[in-house]
Amino acid sequence: MSEAIERFFESLPARAPEVLRGLLSGALQIDLATGQETQHWLVRMRPGEIEVGRHRGPADAIWYSSADLFERLVTGEAQGVAAVLRNESTFSGNVVLFLAFRRFFPDPPGTRDPREVARRQTGRLA
Amino acid sequence: MTDLVSILDGNTFLVSDRRGDIEPSFDFPTGLFSFDTRFLSTWLLTLDGERLHALSIDQAESYSTRFFLAPGEPTHYLDAKVSVIRSRAIGGSFREELTVLNHLREPVEFMVRLDVGADFADIFEIKAARQKKGRTTATVSGNELRLVYRRDAFHRETVISTSEPGEIDVAGMTFRIRIEGHGEWTTRLHVVTVVYGARGEDIRATLPYGGSRDAAAIEAEQNELIARAPKLGCDCQPLAGAYRRSLNDLAALRYESIALGVRLLAAGLPWFMTLFGRDSIFTSLQVLPFLPELIPPTIQILGGLQGHRVDDFRDEEPGKILHELRYGETAGFEEQPHSPYYGSADSTPLFVILLDEYERWTGDSQLVRLLESRARAALDWIDTYGDLLGTGYIWYQTRNPRTGLPNQCWKDSLDSISYADGRLPGFPRATCELQGYAYDAKIRGARLARTFWNDPAYADRLEREAAELKQRFNHDFWIPEKEYYALALDADGRQVDALSSNIGHLLWSGIVDESRAGRIAEHLLGPRLFSGWGVRTLADDQGRYNPIGYHVGTVWPFDNSIIAWGLWRYGYREEAGRISDAILAASRFFDGRLPEAFAGYNRDLTDYPVRYPTACSPQAWSTGTPLLLLRVMLGLEPQGDHLIIDPAVPEGMGRIELLDIPGRWGKVDALGRSRTPTNHRP
Repeated sequence: MSEAIERFFESLPARAPEVLRGLLSGALQIDLATGQETQHWLVRMRPGEIEVGRHRGPADAIWYSSADLFERLVTGEAQGVAAVLRNESTFSGNVVLFLAFRRFFPDPPGTRDPREVARRQTGRLA
Repeated sequence: MTDLVSILDGNTFLVSDRRGDIEPSFDFPTGLFSFDTRFLSTWLLTLDGERLHALSIDQAESYSTRFFLAPGEPTHYLDAKVSVIRSRAIGGSFREELTVLNHLREPVEFMVRLDVGADFADIFEIKAARQKKGRTTATVSGNELRLVYRRDAFHRETVISTSEPGEIDVAGMTFRIRIEGHGEWTTRLHVVTVVYGARGEDIRATLPYGGSRDAAAIEAEQNELIARAPKLGCDCQPLAGAYRRSLNDLAALRYESIALGVRLLAAGLPWFMTLFGRDSIFTSLQVLPFLPELIPPTIQILGGLQGHRVDDFRDEEPGKILHELRYGETAGFEEQPHSPYYGSADSTPLFVILLDEYERWTGDSQLVRLLESRARAALDWIDTYGDLLGTGYIWYQTRNPRTGLPNQCWKDSLDSISYADGRLPGFPRATCELQGYAYDAKIRGARLARTFWNDPAYADRLEREAAELKQRFNHDFWIPEKEYYALALDADGRQVDALSSNIGHLLWSGIVDESRAGRIAEHLLGPRLFSGWGVRTLADDQGRYNPIGYHVGTVWPFDNSIIAWGLWRYGYREEAGRISDAILAASRFFDGRLPEAFAGYNRDLTDYPVRYPTACSPQAWSTGTPLLLLRVMLGLEPQGDHLIIDPAVPEGMGRIELLDIPGRWGKVDALGRSRTPTNHRP
């Protein structure tokens, strides 16, 4: 399992108060495949809180991805909904948990604040 | 497109010619579509090698059609020895019953051939044909033809089967049949569309409603929805017809989201059979007094898919409400940004407006509490990412120059925002109605914060900001010498001075100074904007005016319904009534089904509303228009736990009676009557 994925899961509890502001609760199992091997992660989400474990459910939803795709998601290079639409990643169960969890994924690398870009372009920012 | 025949069930729809045939087309989306993929691009029937032509077509229902056909070209005297009936219905899958009738006394042998093909084109590939990146294969087994498309893990299938045996090949089916004198032969064709998802199962198999329903189930569901809606009794036949038609079409446009398992409203046939933020919010606002139960899934899904990161390809920002969600190949492989795409600057304030309006009607405070963080994030967006230039207004400029939308307001075509002389301003742009929506969102957000979120300080702040915005707006957008609000500000903060229908939306949002409302009403009903059938998108003396230009001169029924609501808000009941009357009169020429838009020619020039060549129909927010007009004419407004009924029925419309209007008051009836008797004979 890559270091980026490990670091991503480690960072979740500290980020949960900011990211999980809705009233949603539930457990999402994330199955990450590398070749024939599958690693399981289980995240239990509550308002403002997340608990991360390295094991299977019980879960309200399961999300399947290759470890490779997941690494691109946690670095912002790939986007979750598009990956599901092209069936590179799939899920079953309560989709709302998937939509909530994807909020932990970062901006694409190198993204600039659009306000700064627009204000420079119109001469409002030197 | 009057020469095409469409049937639909949610976002599965079929468009064919008047013979019931489908031939590969790359300009207009003909074929069988589901979830933005074309599953049939060829469906062509011949009898003894000859094409058929239509004697008549029965199109009474939205989900089924019956074609009566005979061989050869039409002639004055037709003495067909044989005829064909194609009876088809759509309900997730597609079924066609094909019957050949021999009208002679003696037996006849026929060769019935059905050419079948699927190009699996994404809806975005219809206008710009290109080589598919994946591979299509065809296999035959028993009474079944299976067409398979694969691109990496993306996997779609069309499975065509026949109840009667035939010779099946990879390009269709041939039936060599012998029919006795005055006899008939029938086969039932079934076309199943498969969208593969988790663990190689059809994704819809796991959805609560399932993918496939038969016509009886659709009919039952439509009837149930119509039975729940308030009952309309009126003297005005166009109104009665449009109301009934609207309820039918709203039922037909509901679809089950492939990813989300909830029932949403598709925006419009054929191009927009998917979820749009703006369209679904406006439609929800229109239908709320009639069918409030349609609203929560829409609000929740828009909240669930709220933007959370800065993504230039998708024009996404934290707090922003989506513009368009697609399910097809181009979205999945990121050749188009609709996963979802966030390129609209109005859906975010409109989201807050809808949430508030929904609670005012239904008293469903639970949803307002559930979505507090989403609504706050939307309100934050208005003053952060929305205010691109830091001037206190909502601005837009796409960061995806290749596949993004240059205009991110409801008038989203390329030339929709112009100066009076026709020049186009640069970017970013701040159109006027966006500022009105922002104002209204703050006022309504303040009510939600005070009443449900226990945050009076936030409510005070929002109200203060709204008041400042109104003052600033009335200074910066008002053109004193022309006495109307500019369509937009350009990147330098100068007024984009075209006279447009957008000023009507300003009345709806309440940002117009009382002292100026009368002048705005005069413009809206004046000869430059009002065609006699409705308010044009752009006044007829403006540089870019074109009566058949998409957003630069046509009349949009939805636009007019919002304008009528705005006129009512400022007390201009007679003016609101004139617009209502004009739009309802126009609906008569479309069998009660108002299209997306129609031409802006003067009423006395044409005597009937001229069709816009490629208008979508049914289109959700046109479908919702008669409902909102009813609300405006009856003056229905929730106040606390009561419904205020203050009718102002236009002259000549007679009696309007709406029974069992649902809401937090239970159910109430409303009755209105115009002062003069009816013009419209029932």
